[in-house]
Amino acid sequence: MRRRLRVLVHSGCLTLLLPLTAFAQTRPAAQSGPTELAAGQRIFDAQCAWCHGNGGDGGAGPNLHGKLLHATTTSSIVDIINKGIPGTDMPSFRLTERETRQTATYVMSLSRTAARPHSGNAERGAAVYQSNGCGSCHVVEGRGGILGPELTSIGGRRGAVYLRDALVKPAAAHPPGYLVVRAVPASGTEVRGIRVNEDVFWIHIRDASGAVHTLQKSELARLDRELDASLMPSYETRLSSAQLDDLIAYLATLRGAK
Amino acid sequence: MTLTRRSAKAFALLLVVTAAPLLAQDGQWLMYSGTYSSHRFSPLKQITTDNVAKLRPAWVYQPPGTGSVESTPVVANGVMYVTSGPTMVAALDLKSGKSLWEWTRPIAPSVLNLGFPRVNRGVAILDNMIYVGSLDGYLFALDARSGIERWSVHVGENPTGHSITAAPLVVDDKVIVGISGGEAGIRGFLDAYDAKTGKPVWRFYTIPSPGEPGSEGWPGDSWVHGGGATWLTGSYDPALKLLYWGTGNPGPDWNGDSRKGDNLYTSSLVAIDVETGKPRWHFQFTPHDVHDWDANQIPVLVDTQVGGRARALVVMANRNGFYYALDRKTGEFVFGAPYAKQTWARGLDERGRPIEIPGMEPSEKGTLVYPSLQGSTNWASPSYSPATDMLYVPVREMGSIYYKTGVEYKPGTYYTGGSEKRLDEESWGAVRALDVKTGKQAWDFRLPTPTWAGVMATAGGLVFSGSNEGNFFALDAKSGKPLWQFQTGGPIRSGPMSYLAGDKQYVAVAGGHALFVFALDQS
Repeated sequence: MRRRLRVLVHSGCLTLLLPLTAFAQTRPAAQSGPTELAAGQRIFDAQCAWCHGNGGDGGAGPNLHGKLLHATTTSSIVDIINKGIPGTDMPSFRLTERETRQTATYVMSLSRTAARPHSGNAERGAAVYQSNGCGSCHVVEGRGGILGPELTSIGGRRGAVYLRDALVKPAAAHPPGYLVVRAVPASGTEVRGIRVNEDVFWIHIRDASGAVHTLQKSELARLDRELDASLMPSYETRLSSAQLDDLIAYLATLRGAK
Repeated sequence: MTLTRRSAKAFALLLVVTAAPLLAQDGQWLMYSGTYSSHRFSPLKQITTDNVAKLRPAWVYQPPGTGSVESTPVVANGVMYVTSGPTMVAALDLKSGKSLWEWTRPIAPSVLNLGFPRVNRGVAILDNMIYVGSLDGYLFALDARSGIERWSVHVGENPTGHSITAAPLVVDDKVIVGISGGEAGIRGFLDAYDAKTGKPVWRFYTIPSPGEPGSEGWPGDSWVHGGGATWLTGSYDPALKLLYWGTGNPGPDWNGDSRKGDNLYTSSLVAIDVETGKPRWHFQFTPHDVHDWDANQIPVLVDTQVGGRARALVVMANRNGFYYALDRKTGEFVFGAPYAKQTWARGLDERGRPIEIPGMEPSEKGTLVYPSLQGSTNWASPSYSPATDMLYVPVREMGSIYYKTGVEYKPGTYYTGGSEKRLDEESWGAVRALDVKTGKQAWDFRLPTPTWAGVMATAGGLVFSGSNEGNFFALDAKSGKPLWQFQTGGPIRSGPMSYLAGDKQYVAVAGGHALFVFALDQS
């Protein structure tokens, strides 16, 4: 299925459980029967993997391997599944008590397994970030441009798989709030850029120069929503494979303002 | 004129037969949907397609608290009565918007609202009494002149998920009130109370107990938590003495394993004798519903010609994506047709039962179905204009991935058995004009997102509605062309209404946390 899917009520990234992947130690799996774990995995695969990735490797939501930021015990994971995490995109789920515990047990087992280490080098990645001008569009800790999403805590909110996708195929991974639209006025110049806001009658578009255009829809000849477009170029060929790995390793270290 | 008990019966009849001239003179808005027929049509015609561009804010009322205002105001005896969440009522001056009194039911944070926001959608009025339900499951009668409580009655136990959010309906000397809680495994009911004393008159359970008609569709004790909430105000035909009330989903919502059968009277329209509380007929839109497609939409009573024959109909654009026309005396299915994108049924058979496509039920791995859980339309009111013979429907075009999970009943918790993931990015909304005689689309006014705003048509040739993006707007009722708009600054999740104060027409709508009232700029 080609269409992009979003978690109910909430959209965008999840900040459920923030793993400190780099230093996590491998420990034995949860002390639960294999049946319980398998049942938990089945529920996880259907309802959680959308955001947390297959096997909890992270996606639009964080990687769940290694130490979790919002939970240290199975019962605190149960609580999060039942209530969600206010202020984030982690919604609550309506599972039975048993299913909730099974899912939490599975998540706990993931957290006891070290994340696959990043093959890249974060220090070199920081240099790649600088030399490629990423900061002209993205903010990290207060510094940078405003065209793209802020990245100050991106490593805590997105998994490596998602980060790689975002660099290689930005159009397929663009976050909500960054929809590309193209407006063609009945008379005047075409405007293409990020939709800042839209209601029934008006649309506000930020073009690549950062200028915001306020347009009345009734005066447009065309208004295209480019669901498969991004203003960010693909870095698939602009960077070497090693540079991509390094950049991802750097982004994974960004976990909020220090 | 004042609606008194003595005159209510005659007045009700007049409303149905000659609503337009009477209300045009009168300029009141006496109940949630305007009249018992639930046309949500204003016969006022000072504001027209020619001058609506001069519509300007007259006043704004901000109720205490931070709750969303989802109420349709009632206007009677020169006063407006509007509600806000969780449970408060304000009496407002029609011209200045200043409050004459405010009444608040204290609602503790621990009061449950399982499956719906902490809102209140309006009052009913009779003589000098205002009737309002509370989030914690009580019905209150307030003195319309002071807001002082005259009586209250405990309708449903909140610790088991019972709440009241809908506006009650007054018929003769009774207050009819529905109950919310369909996600909490309640056994739904509709209640009638004596308007003067609060004494219970009858209760109609929407889920039959063993041995009653319809109970064969409820194996074992599944009926005990069968759902069928009555959480939106119904309609009434005074000539037939029949109430028309929509019922909600069966419980559990998405896992139907424990309730194999049709699960009457859930996701249905039930015609109930107002004197006895007994059902005279029912029509089930979605038998054995597993998508949470409550039939809690407004049933609209329409007299029109179908196939050259005069018909007294009750029509409903249902949450399941189909538009239905039924004979309102007998419940006979007259015709039906899809009015929005749906992927779960090939169509309706000759009796109106859906011809379901196999494999569309929720599953462990997820099943993509249109419409989404919130349906092709929801509780937001449609409007019928006798002038155009069109039904104007607030439409939600959206699909969902439906999941089925296990389920167990625990009092005061969700009893749903699944969840959904919505296809947000490709969703949109509309105000859609349907030919009431055929269900065919006459025009469509597109909105950026699936709407929660009600619709009001007027004798001025206008259709008013709103958007999640805060726009309150007027369209040409014949063409759907936009003629005026105002940005309220908050999502509109309420139905517009119109009234006269002095000789001036006003239009009101709630948006965000406030009530906005508009009038023509006379300068």
